[in-house]
Order: sequence, then structure tokens, then C-alpha cells
Amino acid sequence: MVPVEWYLILASAVFCIGLFGVLTRRDALYFLMSVELMMNAANINLVAFALYYGDLTGQVFALFVIALAAAEVAIGIGIILVLYRNFGETDVTVPTEMRW
Amino acid sequence: MVDAFAYVPAIVLLPFFSFLVALGAGKYLPKGGAFGGIAATAGSFLLSIWVALTVLGGREYNETLYTWAGGEQFELTFGLLIDPLSALMLVIVTLIALLVHVFSLGYMNDEGETGLPRYYAGLGLFTASMLGFVAADNLLMAFMFFELVGLCSYLLIGFHFRQEGPPSAAKKAFLVTRFGDYFFLIGVVAVFATFGTAQFAGDGSFPVLAEQALNGEFDAWTPLGLDVGTWFTLVGLLVLGGVVGKSAQFPLHTWLPDAMEGPTPVSALIHAATMVAAGVYLVARMFGFYALTPTTLAIIAFIGGFTALFAATMGVVKEELKQVLAYSTISQYGYMMLALGAGSYVAATFHLMTHAFFKALLFLGAGSVIIAMHHNENMWDMGGLKDKMPVTYATFLAGSLALAGIFPFSGFWSKDEILYEAFIHGLNEPLLLGGWIMGLLAVPVTAFYTFRMVFLTFHGDPRSDLARDPEPVRWNVKGPLSVLGVLAVVAGFVNMVPVQKLLGVEGIDFLTQWLDNEFGGIEGVQYSAYNDLLATYAGYEAGTIAGSEGITLIVAAGLGLGLAVLGLLVAWKLYNVPEPTEHTEKLGGAKDVLYNNYYQDEYQVWLAHRTEDVAGGANVFDQGVIDGVVNGISSVSLAGGERVRRIQTGLVTHYAAMLTLGLVALIVVLGVTGGWF
Repeated sequence: MVPVEWYLILASAVFCIGLFGVLTRRDALYFLMSVELMMNAANINLVAFALYYGDLTGQVFALFVIALAAAEVAIGIGIILVLYRNFGETDVTVPTEMRW
Repeated sequence: MVDAFAYVPAIVLLPFFSFLVALGAGKYLPKGGAFGGIAATAGSFLLSIWVALTVLGGREYNETLYTWAGGEQFELTFGLLIDPLSALMLVIVTLIALLVHVFSLGYMNDEGETGLPRYYAGLGLFTASMLGFVAADNLLMAFMFFELVGLCSYLLIGFHFRQEGPPSAAKKAFLVTRFGDYFFLIGVVAVFATFGTAQFAGDGSFPVLAEQALNGEFDAWTPLGLDVGTWFTLVGLLVLGGVVGKSAQFPLHTWLPDAMEGPTPVSALIHAATMVAAGVYLVARMFGFYALTPTTLAIIAFIGGFTALFAATMGVVKEELKQVLAYSTISQYGYMMLALGAGSYVAATFHLMTHAFFKALLFLGAGSVIIAMHHNENMWDMGGLKDKMPVTYATFLAGSLALAGIFPFSGFWSKDEILYEAFIHGLNEPLLLGGWIMGLLAVPVTAFYTFRMVFLTFHGDPRSDLARDPEPVRWNVKGPLSVLGVLAVVAGFVNMVPVQKLLGVEGIDFLTQWLDNEFGGIEGVQYSAYNDLLATYAGYEAGTIAGSEGITLIVAAGLGLGLAVLGLLVAWKLYNVPEPTEHTEKLGGAKDVLYNNYYQDEYQVWLAHRTEDVAGGANVFDQGVIDGVVNGISSVSLAGGERVRRIQTGLVTHYAAMLTLGLVALIVVLGVTGGWF
């Protein structure tokens, strides 16, 4: 059996890739994908611990997170569509009217 | 059986609701909201009678209803105190307020005044505050309502704010009474600091504690190591400041004649019958405290006697109807103060009651004349009105006889009792005797100016076209006049002490019994208890002439009545002729002094100019230091906010970076405190 630490290392790696994407990319679509990666890192953690403790609660939570991710993508795509309609591109550095 | 005392708050709140209704919806209501005010005051009046009957049935009420601030040392509360004194006052105030509301229909509505909702809102708020003041069970609550009453006075005097005079008179009234109230406020704080309570009555109330402190049973706080007696005198004088301002006593009387700029019903309600009574009522309310400080009492008596004479002399030369009445009001309140200073709590309350009736009557009668004369108030343009307005004449005459103190009208009984009490106590106390002499000298002057007014207004030949063809008045003027006219005649019969003493008829001194808790009341807040206090702490002792109470009584009453009749006859001789003349030139130089009110206004203005530097300094301190601190704090917040909001850049990436940094910082903190490293 694969030790739980391996899963955790995998999860942190995936999370950091997602975080890197959020911090460096300018396109909203990349944002969406990066957030998706971060969520799935969390999912890996949940499933890994569920296996480690022999408790199904973690897996159930992972299912919830997958459903939540689906909803989040629906809203995210909607926002990106509106962004595109108003600004003609999906660069998040352009719409800064809401500052201050 | 429903408890009447449960409805005491309603007595105060009903006029307050009429204020809200008139203010919010007055312009949509018929008569500018007058009916709401009439209904509210009528309701309060009926409830007050019910409460008075309950007190007559031998019960009293002294409860704290609401504590709005509490602390380790003392609590600030709202409460109600219903005993014979306040129950009587509630009835008087609600009755006069009701009649004035009805009269206003004739004086304001029928005369086509504008801004009526504002007027009725003012009357409603005034009535509510006065009733709250009367029913207050502690000094702080009394102070708050005292100030509200002053505010309403300001609003109503300045009712015709588009003219030049009224706003200025309103400001003057407000500022002069505020000057007195300033001392009152310090007095309230001093009472709290000294006793830790400001309750008027019951165990642990401040008059009771003051008595215990004088006996060494209670450890009262005093500043600068003052002796308790001296300190109590000072506290009494501080509170007296408010009384002198509100009751228009010398030297703070100057606002009242100017306050006649207000509509006449307002003058009747506020500046004659009720608000001005607030000062006298306050002294009567805390008489248990004043009875312990003979110096304060002597000062009260002296100020009262002096004001009575001083104001009466100014009333002699006035040309306007309401001005004469204004000075007579100041003078009559002087009598009440004299009575209080002479230790005669009952006589003061008695005169307060009879004066409320006959002075409200005289003002309303003057209002009726003013309607008839198309708002010309100069008596030299009147004359001969008695045939044209018989109801007004008859009631006005009744009120004048009462004011002049002619037997058997109400004013005779109360004024006689005041002078008698001042006299018998004055025989042992020179200051009181001085007060009595001035009070006595004011009697013929009062009778003289009163009947000068009556003769000039109603007798002789009409001296102008207006007087030849006066405008008729309606039921809403005659009704209140008739009610008050009857009261001015009969109100004196509730307390015929001299008759009882001379003829030995028992039971005709109802008011004395009432205020002496014969029917019920709070232990210690009663006439005989005050008399014991006065005898013990102030050394008051009644003297007699020729060792007989009967002879003293006859001499005092005879002197008073004789002088009043003398004044009346002089006025009759000089002014009850078809074509009266002024006769003032015979006064010589005194005439100018009297016309100019002894230059009191000029003197006060002069004084104000001398103190401009102090005021300027206070202003700089206020603007610079006090406002500076407040503004400084706000500008620090503003500048800080201006900087901090820059972190909201609008870039999603920056927010994400901040989140991440925050997370990292949190992990580091957790790691350091959790001991990971």
C-alpha cells in the first residue's frame, strides 16, 4: 500500500501549481483552471485520509467538493462571459473600476 | 377596581401624542390639529381629577418607573410622585391647558392665523412637559422637563417668526431663563454629589437625608470641607437660580414682559398660569430641603417681596394691556416666593392656584379684547368696551377684583394668607418683615394698576373707531372665560383660614387639610412636617400683636384689604371718567424710570458688554480645545482610512497574493507558537 505521505506530497504539488497559476496568469480562464486544480488537491487529501483512517466521510466530502466545483465552474464561466462581453477580452488586469 | 395611578403616565403622554399628531398630520386635520389637542388635554384633565380623587381617598404614589442610567454610586431614573401637591397641580395645569386650547380656536383659528399645526404642536408639547415636570419624582427628571418647558416657551413666543419682535423676545426668554437654569444644573449635580440621590420624597430622599446630615446621622459629602449647613444653603441657592429665572424674579424677570410678543393664549398658558409657576412649584416640591436652610428662606422671602413691589410699580405706567398683565404676573409670583420664604407652604400653593385661575382669566380676557380691537393692544385706544362685550367685561372684572385682592374674590384669600404668614413670622425675623412691608406696599399699587387697566379698557367713552365698533367674539372665547370667571370668584373659598380662626367654624380650610395629608399623602411631605422643620432648623416662630392671634389676624387682613381698596379708589378717581388722561406727568422724573423699567434691560446689556472678553475666551476654548480634540480624532480616522483603502487595487491577482500571504503568515504564527521549529 502506498503510504499516505505520498498522496499528501502529490496534493501539495497540485495545490502549488494551482496557486502559481492564480498568482501569475492574467487570463480569467487560467484562473478557473487553477482554482480547479487547487480544489482537486483538496480532494486528493480528503480521499487519502479517508483511506488512511478507513472512514468513508472523507470520500463523501470529496463528492460534495466535486459537485461544488461543477457549480463554481458554471458561475465562473458566466462571469468570464460577461467580462468578455464588456471588455472584449478576458484579461483580469483590465477591469479595475471597483477599486478604492 | 382599576388603579388610577396606572394612568398617570397617560396624563403626560396624551398631550405628547397630540403634539406628534399636530406636528405630523396637523395640516391634513380640520382646524390645524386643534381637536387633537383639546381631546388630549380633556383626557388628561379627567384622568387628573380621577387621580386627585384617589389621593383624596387616602392613597399616594411614589414609584421609579425606569432607570435610564445606573452606576455604583447613584442611579438616574424616571419616576412619578403623586401626592396632594402634585395632584392639585396636575388638575390646575390640565384645566388651564384645556381652556387655552378651546380659546385658541377663537384666537388663532377664527383670526385666520397660518402655521396652526406648529402652534398646536407647541401647545401639546408644552402641556406634556409641564405635566412631566409636575409629576417628576426626582430633581434630575424635574430639571429635564423644566428645560423642555423652556424650549416650548421659546418656540411659542417666537410663533410669529416672520415679524421682528417675536424671534428676538423668544431668544431673550430662552437665554435669560437658561442663565438661571445653569445654576440649577450645578445644583442638581451638587445634590447628586452630596446625597447620592435626587428623590423628592420617601425614605432615603434627599430632603430626609439632609435633615439626618444636620443631625449628624448621615455623612453627606461637602466640598472644601464646608460645614453641612453652609453647603446646603449654597445648594439651595444654586437650585434657586433656576427658580428665579423661570418664575421671573428680580433680577432675571426681564424676559417675561417681552414674552408678551407670543400669541395671547400662549401668554395665558405659559407666562401666567403654568410655566412661570414651575419655579414656585419646584421650591414647594423640595420644601423639606429649603426648610432646613433659614438663610435661603430669608433670601427667597426678600427677593419675593422686592419683586412684588418692584414689578407692581412698573405696571402702573404701561400703556399696553398685556404689558400691565405681564408686570402683574411678575409681581404675583413675587408674593408666592414671599410666602415660601416665610415658610408658608400652603399660602404659596394657594396663591399659585388662585393666581393660575385669575391670571389665565385676565390674559384670556385680554385676548378677547385684542380680538375685538383687531390686535391693537394700546389701552389708550380702547374705552367703553363694557357695553359691547358684557361677558368679557364681567369675567375680566371678576379676575381684576381677584388680582387686586378684594374681598371675597379668590385673590383676597390667598394674598391675605401670604401677608399674614409673612407678618407673623416677620415679627421675629427682620428680613421677613422687610419682605412683608414690600409685599404690603405692593397691594395698593396692584389694585391701582389693575383698575387703571379695567377703567381704561372698559369704562369711559370709546377713544378710537376700533373701540366704537369692536369685533364680536364667539362661544370658544366666552366659554373658557366663563369657566375661569366662576373659578376666580369661588376658588378662594377652599381655604378660608382667617374665617376659621376668627369664628371658629371647623372644616373650611380644605386646602390646608389637603396639603397636610389629612386625606392621605407621603409621610414627611406635608404642611405640619414642614412647620416642625421650620421651627427646629430655621427657628421660625409666629409672633402676634397684643398677644392675640385674633387681633393680629384682623390687623393684617384689614391692612391688606384697606390698602387694596385705597388703590382701587385712586384708580377710580383718576381713570373712571369719560375722557381719562394719563396723569403720569405728575410723577416727574420717576415717570421715565418707570417707563424704561428701571433701565434693567440697559443695565443687563451693559453688563453683557463688560463680560464680552470672558465670553470670547470661552468661545476660543470651546472652538479651539473642545472642538479641536473632536475634529482631531475624526481627521486621524479620515487620513488613516485614506491610506488603508489603497490596498483595494481592483486586481484579482493582488487579492489572491494577499490571501496567500495571509495564509503563510498564519501558518508561520501557528508554527512558532505551536513549536514546530
